[in-house]
Amino acid sequence: MSGVNLNRIVKNYGSLEVVHGIDLQVNPQEFVVLVGPSGCGKSTTLRMIAGLEEITSGTLSIGDRVVNRVAPKDRDVAMVFQNYALYPHLNVADNIAFGLRIRRVPKQEIAQSVEEVAKILGLTEYLDRKPSDLSGGQRQRVAMGRAIVRHPKVFLFDEPLSNLDAKLRTQMRSEIKRLHKRLGVTSIYVTHDQVEAMTLADRIVVMRDGRIEQIGAPMDLFNNPVNTFVAGFIGSPPMNQFEAEIAAEDGGMVAITQNARIRLPAAKELLGHSGRRIIVGIRPEHTSVKPVEGATAIPVELDLVETLGSEALLHTTVGDTPFVVKTETGGRTDHLQSVETVYVMPRDIKIFDLESGRILQSQLTEMAA
Amino acid sequence: MSMRETVGPATEELVAEAKESQRDRFRRRAVWLGDHMRREWQIYLMLLPVLIWFVVFLYKPMYGLQIAFKDYSIFRGVAGSPWIGFEHFQTLFGNDQFLRAIKNTFIISSLSLLVGFPVPIILALMFNEIRNERYKRTAQTIVYLPHFISLVIIAGIVISVFSPSTGVINLALQKLGFEPIYFLTRPEWFRPIFIGTGIWQEAGFQSIVYLAAIAGVNPSLYESAVVDGASRWQMMWKITLPSILPTIIIMLIIRIGNLLEVGFELIILLYQPATYQTGDVINSFIYRQGLQGAQYDLAAAAGLFNAVVAFILVMAANTISRRVSKTSLW
Repeated sequence: MSGVNLNRIVKNYGSLEVVHGIDLQVNPQEFVVLVGPSGCGKSTTLRMIAGLEEITSGTLSIGDRVVNRVAPKDRDVAMVFQNYALYPHLNVADNIAFGLRIRRVPKQEIAQSVEEVAKILGLTEYLDRKPSDLSGGQRQRVAMGRAIVRHPKVFLFDEPLSNLDAKLRTQMRSEIKRLHKRLGVTSIYVTHDQVEAMTLADRIVVMRDGRIEQIGAPMDLFNNPVNTFVAGFIGSPPMNQFEAEIAAEDGGMVAITQNARIRLPAAKELLGHSGRRIIVGIRPEHTSVKPVEGATAIPVELDLVETLGSEALLHTTVGDTPFVVKTETGGRTDHLQSVETVYVMPRDIKIFDLESGRILQSQLTEMAA
Repeated sequence: MSMRETVGPATEELVAEAKESQRDRFRRRAVWLGDHMRREWQIYLMLLPVLIWFVVFLYKPMYGLQIAFKDYSIFRGVAGSPWIGFEHFQTLFGNDQFLRAIKNTFIISSLSLLVGFPVPIILALMFNEIRNERYKRTAQTIVYLPHFISLVIIAGIVISVFSPSTGVINLALQKLGFEPIYFLTRPEWFRPIFIGTGIWQEAGFQSIVYLAAIAGVNPSLYESAVVDGASRWQMMWKITLPSILPTIIIMLIIRIGNLLEVGFELIILLYQPATYQTGDVINSFIYRQGLQGAQYDLAAAAGLFNAVVAFILVMAANTISRRVSKTSLW
């Protein structure tokens, strides 16, 4: 198995630079997900790895080999496309066999490989069908079969599930995960859906405007976002963020918003900065509607209760700022209709710089809880 | 009787029910069409000129077809001329010139189908592979151009190119030490020259249809093939060609339907009595008999025969294509 190494990769279209020198080390057998909003350069990066786009500058290596100038076919990668890219005139078996036929693999070997892949993907009974006779999920499986059958060093997935409906997407997501566990092939997966990223990835790469914002394990990104962008992008619903002013109180620091004083975890850089404006970040999951010892009470105004079953989202406002609370229902929601206060532990609060949006807790001194 | 009651409604009742439901369907469809026409009248208005064109130039003239079965005289008119049944057809099939024209039509058509049909496809595939945009545009303009030249000028060009005294071909032959050939008076040269001229004139323009079809192929099919390791040649054979196959088949059906429609304008501009033997086709025969010889009824019979055969051909081609490739005109 080979890793993939991107070293200061830049992509220009004419004079427009769309990927600004990204560095990324994908380890052998790792499942890395590139995630970000449209136009962040994630697909372009993947296509550069596939060899479908030229690399303007920087070095790309697969295994130990620099492949900047290597043709796509010689990079030993397989790609699954968003719209499946199945050949409409070929049946499932021929679609899966296409890459092997091109490489002039002996017929018997092809038949054997196709059969094996079809079995893995549950396509055996559809081998004679044309893509037009298959459902979206089946087509996606054929597309994956085409990638798997070649036993490549690296799998590249370009938003493979975005054409499927929600239910099928969840199902295919777990199939991809299982497949990766089974085959253990280095995989790079592009999506704009943070749920897909969280569920599939060993490591997530969050991109914005052609730059990498943060790389880390899913829970790492969830718990320790480096800036407001990652904090807002990872997690559903996103982290609540609002502006506040720092003030010293009772030997600690508090953030003052319109109608709340929120006790903050201690951070060295905040000490002696009373009056400084910051962004306070609180995850909807880190709030409680019941009083908790040591927690700050935040008065909220309830707008709407969204019931999801075992959980509910309370859409509230703190002053003028929207504030979402995620809470367990325990099977009923009537007690949630009268919520006026939510409780947050200081250790769960993130503090970001107002100007740069960067987290300010890198030099945190643990406050005595 | 009691048996029937248990089995279900009687056959007559079922038939009546089916008829009623069919009437109902027609009624619903008529109402739908009425509603649709009221709502989208602008679209129907745009359709009108074409309908009028069809009626005036294609359906109304059908009235005149009856003279194929009449002893027509201009003075008595179409309606006033007496019926004579299939006499004109008997005359036609007893006429060696007509039989020769049928044979020539089939030979010229089949050869130009065989040689000429693949040319625009090949051209389109080749254009598709040109990466330099400026070169591509120039090349396309050069091959489209002959389509826009009047047939009379085309014939003039052909005549001067093949001229035994001043034509470039004969000059080249003479330079190589050969005797000049009187191409346009030699029966064996008529068909190659006629077919070649047709290809030169129309292949470029016809390639536009295929280029449009190629433009419609999903680009990720090629990307996927590139990653799979396909060469450009393999992509052309395994992706482009199969993807435009439905278009090719539709064009082939249309072409087969027109198999008997050899453009007689170029024929009458190029042929002469010396080359009738290989160059006289049904349409030029009709032109000579009907317009030059004023035998309108005989010419109408020949024309009707031509149309019936063409109709059978296009129906057959369409049916075969629908069965074999699931692609058809209707």
